[in-house]
Amino acid sequence: MQLSDGFEGKLMPAGATAGAAVPTPLRGTAKYLPLRKALNRAAPYVFIAPAAIITTLALAYPMLQSVWLSFRDWSLGTPLGQSRFVGLANYEWLLHDPNFWASAAVTLTFAFAVVVVEVLLGVMLAILLDRELRFVSLFRTIFILPMMVAPIVVGLVWRYMYNEQFGTFAHLLKALGFAPVPWLSSPKLALISVIIADVWQWTPFIFILSLAALQSLPASALEAARIDGATHWQMVWHIKVPLMMPVIAVAALLRLIDAFKVLEVIYILTEGGPGLSTEIMSLHIYKTAFVSQQLGQAAALSNMLLLIVLALTVIFAALTAVRQRREKLAAARR
Amino acid sequence: MITRRDGLKGMTAAALSTALWPSASRANPYTRFKGTTLVVNFPAHPHYDAVKKVLPQFTAETGIKVELDELQYMRMHDKQLLEMSKPGGGDYDLIAYVVFWKSEYANKGLIEELGPLFQKEGLALPDYDFSDLIPGYVENIGLVGGPKGYLAGPGAKLYGVPFGAETSVLGYRKDIFEKHGLKVPENYSELETLLTKIPELEKGMGALSSRGQTGAMVTHAYALHLNPLGSRFFDSNWQPTFNNPRGVQAATLLKKIIDTGPEGGASFGFDDMKNAFLQGRSAMFLDSIAVAGEADDPAKSKIAGKVGWAVHPYGVRRSSQSGGFGIAIPKNAANKEAAFLLMQWLTSKKADQAIAAAGGSPSRMSTYRDADLQARYPQYKVFAEALLYADPDWRPIINEWNELAGSVIGVALGDIVTGQKSPQAALDDIVPRVKAIMERGGYYASNGSR
Repeated sequence: MQLSDGFEGKLMPAGATAGAAVPTPLRGTAKYLPLRKALNRAAPYVFIAPAAIITTLALAYPMLQSVWLSFRDWSLGTPLGQSRFVGLANYEWLLHDPNFWASAAVTLTFAFAVVVVEVLLGVMLAILLDRELRFVSLFRTIFILPMMVAPIVVGLVWRYMYNEQFGTFAHLLKALGFAPVPWLSSPKLALISVIIADVWQWTPFIFILSLAALQSLPASALEAARIDGATHWQMVWHIKVPLMMPVIAVAALLRLIDAFKVLEVIYILTEGGPGLSTEIMSLHIYKTAFVSQQLGQAAALSNMLLLIVLALTVIFAALTAVRQRREKLAAARR
Repeated sequence: MITRRDGLKGMTAAALSTALWPSASRANPYTRFKGTTLVVNFPAHPHYDAVKKVLPQFTAETGIKVELDELQYMRMHDKQLLEMSKPGGGDYDLIAYVVFWKSEYANKGLIEELGPLFQKEGLALPDYDFSDLIPGYVENIGLVGGPKGYLAGPGAKLYGVPFGAETSVLGYRKDIFEKHGLKVPENYSELETLLTKIPELEKGMGALSSRGQTGAMVTHAYALHLNPLGSRFFDSNWQPTFNNPRGVQAATLLKKIIDTGPEGGASFGFDDMKNAFLQGRSAMFLDSIAVAGEADDPAKSKIAGKVGWAVHPYGVRRSSQSGGFGIAIPKNAANKEAAFLLMQWLTSKKADQAIAAAGGSPSRMSTYRDADLQARYPQYKVFAEALLYADPDWRPIINEWNELAGSVIGVALGDIVTGQKSPQAALDDIVPRVKAIMERGGYYASNGSR
């Protein structure tokens, strides 16, 4: 719907309502109009069809397969045809499984902690580096480097740094005369260690998006504020941050969704331990599928994770919509 | 590019192989497969590091090429399952597997039964001498279908050959023990006394290096003590027994071992545990003999020449680990016969000695008795004795073991060693889940036997 309107809108003179007026360039060919119009309307769908079909297949097939699988009992390495239909048993198991609830709690803690810290740090860094300094482009490049490192490598690097016997931090603490810290072997600290590694890797993501947002802010607003005598901090608080908000919100949402799916770094760092203290949902799914080999249960778990992420996205989108409407109303009132 | 020199090398190798082949009159079984490439899946593990040094010799002798897919050993399982369950044929011709996967692979029909192959004329090597393979290893690594599903006895069939099999031994720092006049522990009470004593005597040094990582790793460490202290994971009717008083005693001891061991023990996998000992962070080691080769290699170990070995301490009975790796041929392998030749070659007397000389773990009694190797590795005498106590029922080798050890028992033990829960409570808490898994597997259906 939207696409077709947009397409037609381009052909129409400003102010015309869709479908009401005949576009100027076509005047005089009124005889062919219905067909032409129909073709024009169809064109965007035709163009988009191949991509839409592929996406649907690539997205819908595995999703439907996963839903189907979640009603079955299938062990890895046996033919799929031998799997048994078990109805909702996998979901029932999941709701009664203490490990599921433990991993859900870990996932929520992890996701919210990393998103909050990353957004704060990323925005702060962006505001700090949004100016003409010497070597500023060098700093910017350095700051986004962690994001380019493969997750497995990030996991290994941090694992070695955290190593309590030979690691970088162990040496540093020892040199400064402090006791060694059980970074990965204490259930209380392990999750924090994992969060630090994630923050290190993904703050740059928020940073570059915020920086881009900052640099595309309307100069007029900033200029007006300056003329009105706003201080630097006032400009940051009252002009820059509110104007960046839509971008920050989207970036935070992307990070949140990603944080729910993170696997590699934690897999390498702690493999979910000690106990279940860092067993995030995606790792729990992996273990259910490949260690316990309960593919049906793993599928049920994946579907739950999908639902949670979907719910979050919907809530977030709704909040954004509400806020935007409120802003529009406020603007209209002014 | 093949140079003249390579050509010459090939010719020399060919000449050598005919010379090494004893009966010139009999057809050389390898000839048919010259030029074949076998794909093998081996773990990154001290034994297989030694194997890698010897493998080129196989290609030189037989003209069969070997492509090695090397993986961290706990990661091999999913890859192998996926490859071996491909209907059209998988990538692997020969796989190394951890002992507790044997029942699963055999029961799911993923690996070949070896009995018929060993009887095939022209394929079975005449001088192989199967009976020389360490019997405890053959039972533990190779047999499926006997009593309890994994022990020797009626119904048992051979699915794999031990290769990199192992038992547990106690390694200790001779220098530290001499310095403080300590006695090498012969039983568990002596061992327990040393746990608190050593960190007091040697500041900054842990007593005993142990695995502690949540999941399969900490379960392995627990089994090392559970069995000699007189308990098992299950009784003969598959009812959980790990939470009985002796099981709790083993878990309590394990926590003490981690607490008095090198820092970070609760996150140690096999490699971390090994490195802690090899880097001099602990005075004792109680795990696989596979580490012995590296312990005396100055390139990998700071304690080369300072390590003494003893049999696994006595609890209320002798029971040392039985485990490690075997090799098997996937049902969907492309070159089964050539793979069977490689399997025999690798575990032949000659290769077994060559691999032992390169630091690997022997699979044959004759290798342990070899005078040259005994002179080179004085610990072989201790190891040969330790093998007598290798306990084939050390852990249940059933399909469900991966899940039990990885996601249930190993998680409770993780909570115990990090002090989250008391041993008794943590072990009691998981009994219902363990029973549910066993119930699902059908172990309680027909009088407990399966």
